[in-house]
Amino acid sequence: MVSKVGFVVNPIAGMGGKVGLKGTDGVLHQAIKLGAKPFASDKAYETIKKFISSNSKKNQIKWFTSKGEMGSNILNKAGIKNFEIVYSPSNEKTSSEDTKNACKKFIEKNVDLILFCGGDGTARDIFEIVSIKIPVLGIPSGVKMHSGVFGITTIASGKMLNEFVNERLTIGDVEIMDLDEEKYRKGEWNIKLFGIARGIVEPTYIQVGKSTFESVSDNEIKDELFEHINDEIEKNNDCLFLFGSGGTIDHIARKIGIKNTLLGIDAVYNKKIIGSDLNEKGILKLLKKYPKVKLVLSPIGAQGFILGRGNLQLSSRVIKMIGLDNIIIVSTPAKLVSIPVIRVDTGDEKLDDMFAEKEFIMVVIGYRLSRVVKIQTLT
Amino acid sequence: MNRNSTSFLKEEYEELVKNSFDWKLRILESGSTPHSVVDGKKVIMLCSNNYLNLSNHPRLIKSSIDAAKKFGAGSGSVRAIAGTMKLHMEVEKRLAKFKRTEASLIYQTGFAANAGLIPQLVTKEDIIISDELNHGSIIDGVRLTKADRAVYKHRDMGELEKILKEADKKHRRILVITDGVFSMDGDIAPMDKIVKLANEYGAMSYVDDAHGEGVIGEDGRGIGAHFKIEGKIDVEMGTFSKAYGVVGGLIAGSKDLTNFAFNKSRTWLLSGSHPPAVAGAQLAAIDVLETEPEYVKNLWDNTNYFKKELISLGFDTGESETPITPVMVGESSKAKELSNKLFTEGIFALPIVFPMVSRNKARIRTMMNAGLTRKDLDYTLDKFEKLGKQLEII
Repeated sequence: MVSKVGFVVNPIAGMGGKVGLKGTDGVLHQAIKLGAKPFASDKAYETIKKFISSNSKKNQIKWFTSKGEMGSNILNKAGIKNFEIVYSPSNEKTSSEDTKNACKKFIEKNVDLILFCGGDGTARDIFEIVSIKIPVLGIPSGVKMHSGVFGITTIASGKMLNEFVNERLTIGDVEIMDLDEEKYRKGEWNIKLFGIARGIVEPTYIQVGKSTFESVSDNEIKDELFEHINDEIEKNNDCLFLFGSGGTIDHIARKIGIKNTLLGIDAVYNKKIIGSDLNEKGILKLLKKYPKVKLVLSPIGAQGFILGRGNLQLSSRVIKMIGLDNIIIVSTPAKLVSIPVIRVDTGDEKLDDMFAEKEFIMVVIGYRLSRVVKIQTLT
Repeated sequence: MNRNSTSFLKEEYEELVKNSFDWKLRILESGSTPHSVVDGKKVIMLCSNNYLNLSNHPRLIKSSIDAAKKFGAGSGSVRAIAGTMKLHMEVEKRLAKFKRTEASLIYQTGFAANAGLIPQLVTKEDIIISDELNHGSIIDGVRLTKADRAVYKHRDMGELEKILKEADKKHRRILVITDGVFSMDGDIAPMDKIVKLANEYGAMSYVDDAHGEGVIGEDGRGIGAHFKIEGKIDVEMGTFSKAYGVVGGLIAGSKDLTNFAFNKSRTWLLSGSHPPAVAGAQLAAIDVLETEPEYVKNLWDNTNYFKKELISLGFDTGESETPITPVMVGESSKAKELSNKLFTEGIFALPIVFPMVSRNKARIRTMMNAGLTRKDLDYTLDKFEKLGKQLEII
């Protein structure tokens, strides 16, 4: 089968980081002045080369790309001929609009995957256009890479592309995260969850014969996680459940029959929503009313944070009131493959230390099935 | 409703064939001997579990024939009703003595032991803590329970203890379960440490020692003897079908355990008991292990020589500590190719590929046999060297 892949490079991605800036968006001039040089196309080239060397059937991809440093130059350099230029930037100095325009063309061409090279900003631009219509795979080249769309290295992205075209990987949720510029301008540093995109993930296998395995889809695993949480709710019918953000928890909530906020915190009591998209104040108010509470979280983004990224409303005050033992972490096994540790950054050193002392945390990965995962704090 | 009630049989089989997941049965035209005839070709057998070559031992064959002549071809019933023969009781008594435990119980197969006993030991309020690389029959036994399940990283005692700590707070009974010898890598569970941790947290310990029985420990008494903790593992489960050279599952432990097990295991209660010929051979296998230590010695001499030479040729044999020696290849396709080429050269060794092992850890799994000669091993090593170079593995 021939896969159709849209390939776009943000040529300026990462330049700000090389000279100590927090990103490249809006500060390109400053970055160049400070001596930054573009390197994203080299990163993209590493990925494409790795893909070519690991893929035995080289014609499995029909490429669609942008002209010049946004794509075609790199494919040419790698010796790929089977591509079509679907977008040409009007100016040599490309911008986020060019990334978005290229993606619009990819949608028209009905591609199976968008392979892009950039950072969190580029991922956000792409997500803005493609949403969950097309899965995305990122080649890491940005300053910030908190989103779950990136391979760990350029080489890993090349291998993942190969596994994808050979139908050995499946589609799953990945988080799009980036710096909250609004807060950043006010002097606060906050990584915000912008959305849940579709990415490519390792399937979970279950043994069905002595040596035969069936791959289980992400949704089947999430169904099991729903059954687990559903049991917990039924078992603890006097208990308030706070649902965190992300695709896994959203799936669980929808199965329970409640309308959950994908990117926010909701409160559930007896399987009914009693608080939507709560802020810290709203959560604290509920915690005073309900003495028994459980918080359901799922690791977010490429680094596997459960607290401190994308959910600042779960402040240290909130977590202390809930109690560490009342946190239930759920995750698909596929997600745990890409994030071997659970990270916590509550902004409260003492609370972080309490997590650090635990060393490990139980993560529910199936119906009544869990495993221990190491906890890492920033302190 | 108008439906084709059996069309799925063909469809699902064809799907397996399409993905090369179907079993293509290899036919033995000889006994399972160190030199076997497989699909018409004479080969050195490196994938049988008949580690000690006892399936061809004259004492086992004779005892089997004698028992059949004396007691007939079948046992007539399940054990619980009218199928318990004096011979079965004798095997259990002798096995317990050999394993240095208070009692033992024979199941129809190893699978029947795990699938029958595990779901009786724990239920809804309990938890099973399991090594991530445990064998399929443990996994199925675990699937049949209503207990919570937690998985720890392979042989990682730190993770096991963390889970025990958590489980101790919430659960009524805790069962820690592990393979003894892991069948893909040939490494051994740290059973001494597992038992110690289990005792500390009031948990039961359960080991599936299918590949360790008759192989590790003094005279092949298994993992309890290997770590000198005989009688201290709550459930030592094993099989007669591998090194013992016969067939049948076994558990060894306390009298309380065996009383509980045979009254509660549905697989035991609802399957016919072993025919006398099987029980006769089992008894003789124990005899041989007790009186002819050279079989276990030969197995280990062969294993050590083969492993040492493979390593000196530049092969990676992983973490193996037992007669299961994986020869790491990397890519699944290469492992299959090496296995095919070895077969052409007269060596029968199966490839183990993704997803049985991770993508870059495909291997040829070799299983040593006490009946192979040094000449056989040198021939095998020579072919491994030649093909390993050809396929750029070494």
